[in-house]
Amino acid sequence: MASTGGSHLSSGKINLSLLRDFYRRELLEALDKCLGSKALVWDSDLTGPFGLIAEYSLLKEHEVEKMFPLQTSGLPPSNVQNIIFIARPRLKLMDLIAQNLLQEEQKGGFRKEYHIIFVPRKSLLCEKRLKDLGVYGTLTNIEEFSLSLIPFDYDLMSMEMDNSFKECYLENDFTSMHYAAQSLMTLQTLYGVIPNICGKGDCAKQVVDMMLRMRRELCGQEPNITPQIDNLLILDRNVDLLTPLLSQLTYEGLIDEIFDINNTSVKLPPEKFQSGQGEESKGVPTEPKKVILNSSDVLYADLRDKNFNAVGSIVSKKAKTITAEFDERHSAKTVSDMKQFVSKLPHLQQVRQSLSIHTSIAELVKEYTDTDEFIDCLRCQQEFINSIETDKVHTYVEDCMGKQEPINKVLRLICIQSYCNNGLKPKVLDYYKREVLQTYGFEHIITIMNLERAGLIRLSGNRTYPTIKKSLRLIMEDVNEMVPNDISYVYSGYAPLSIRLAQYYARPGWRSITEVLNLLPGPTVEEIQQIPVALRKRRSSIGSINSTAAEQKITLVFFLGGVTYAEIAALRFLAQQDDGGTDYVIATTSILSGETLLNQVSVPLEPAKLNPF
Amino acid sequence: CKIMRSFDDERLDDRTETLNQAIKCYQKGRHDFVIKQTEDQIKLLKYQRRLEEEFNRPYMDLSLHQTIYRLTVENNYKVSEQLRKEFKVPDRRYWWIRIQGLAEAGEWVELDKF
Repeated sequence: MASTGGSHLSSGKINLSLLRDFYRRELLEALDKCLGSKALVWDSDLTGPFGLIAEYSLLKEHEVEKMFPLQTSGLPPSNVQNIIFIARPRLKLMDLIAQNLLQEEQKGGFRKEYHIIFVPRKSLLCEKRLKDLGVYGTLTNIEEFSLSLIPFDYDLMSMEMDNSFKECYLENDFTSMHYAAQSLMTLQTLYGVIPNICGKGDCAKQVVDMMLRMRRELCGQEPNITPQIDNLLILDRNVDLLTPLLSQLTYEGLIDEIFDINNTSVKLPPEKFQSGQGEESKGVPTEPKKVILNSSDVLYADLRDKNFNAVGSIVSKKAKTITAEFDERHSAKTVSDMKQFVSKLPHLQQVRQSLSIHTSIAELVKEYTDTDEFIDCLRCQQEFINSIETDKVHTYVEDCMGKQEPINKVLRLICIQSYCNNGLKPKVLDYYKREVLQTYGFEHIITIMNLERAGLIRLSGNRTYPTIKKSLRLIMEDVNEMVPNDISYVYSGYAPLSIRLAQYYARPGWRSITEVLNLLPGPTVEEIQQIPVALRKRRSSIGSINSTAAEQKITLVFFLGGVTYAEIAALRFLAQQDDGGTDYVIATTSILSGETLLNQVSVPLEPAKLNPF
Repeated sequence: CKIMRSFDDERLDDRTETLNQAIKCYQKGRHDFVIKQTEDQIKLLKYQRRLEEEFNRPYMDLSLHQTIYRLTVENNYKVSEQLRKEFKVPDRRYWWIRIQGLAEAGEWVELDKF
């Protein structure tokens, strides 16, 4: 578990380290319920998120002596008094736990107590499975720990439920929406009740309904806090399926597309980092280099949301200033000059190190964006979103299949074409489907059916895309990638639909775009939560002069079904605009890229080895 | 889903049987496209089995594209041409297969004919 300080969480308008502290308290309370030394057994999906909440040293203070991954091979021997399983409520994991427990029983020996902590809730189904497997009685304690929204950065929280889109739209399993509603309630206890709620999409409606019901069940037992968050905007991924399919062009977005960022850290091929000075170069180069990406790295905070084309010049400019600052030591004449320089030294060294890391990462990314495949693919995407040649089979897509390029790339392009053409003609659609099956194998038929069910590819229907494109100004010409003036810079000319909605919500309000909202799938929800007068934010009276700065509203945008880094960048860009008047905090079920979206929907089928007789 | 289950069957006969059942299910729902594809898959499996017996090389569970590709690499133009006609592979993609297959096999003379 990597230990990350929480300092970068508190620099935003809403202090998210409050949330982190809340989780830490809950976790420790749950742990302290078992007396004596402990060993933790982790569901591998949870180690990452927990690493962001509590570091190992903190756990050690609470008598955690050992940590193991949950696996079939059972537990290594240890002489602790308590063994605590920490797991998501999934049946598969219950089987594993039961298996582990039975093995331990057979070993006998030193008497231990066993516990399970479910994250974020226990489920009846899981308890029943444990009973069926005959291990329920062995367990001393079953706890739950409501970790759902994990603070990633000063303006970003994620539930890290990677499959929630699939669960909601393919499996009709809305458990993750329930968790989302609950996590919103947690936020409200910490930051006050959010007065205005607005949402778009089926899932958004569900979450809002659940939230309101949960609030009624509280019967007014709410903490007396002045609301810090003014608006809640819930957006359903279903409302904007186009954006995540396109290639992200911000620095962070590209890193995610190429190397897959997980719980704010990324694993990179080590070759580039061998020459790094100091102790790192001695390490074994075969292990991937792990880099933690968040705003505690000042340089990265600056770079991540830039269009990748602007990254190079910033890095070189930074490098020059750093060298200049180092050179100051030559000009230092007096002792106090020297003193001043030395006091800056640790900071300078830190910056220089992160500079060298990001130079290497940027080189890796550039290698990728310079390939013909990437450039051609981007050109094809741009043609599609501009509605050029979307109504027939596109030769580039055909060529991709001919060259056996990764299936996800081909499917992504087909999905984009389908969206931008308001669905494909039956002839074109069948042709594509047949080609995919012939090229990549019959086993992908299930994936294709799933794509159709999720609405990612469909037969031609109402012509909505041209209207949406026009009235939400999705396509912008003359994008300035270096000094952007519109959110469309994150996709070099395409403004993400979801973020446009957020932009219009802040100003001039959704009433001005009712027509477009009706074209997008799912209902529009609007609710107002009443707040006692005493707790209302004091709006400065009309006459007061010094009101401008304090008037900035805070909007929490909750993406159900995931959000991409490029969209996050676009929202941050909006928050920085002076005339926007709104600051944004982002919550999501998971961080998404086109790749992970398709992986959710696709079903990997491994044919059994055929018997040759 | 019958199609998913078919991939667990170890014997060819079982697998075609399961796929046939799948076709019947889809006929009830009138999913013409899936029916056609499933039939093609059964046909392909049979072809692959025959080819395996003929040339004593593994072809099972390759996609059609890969099958033709392997055949091209192995200089079996006749059979690959036959498969192309049977499954109506479009020209553009067929030429891709040819070019890559021939390049892999180092048949520069053949390639030169394009």
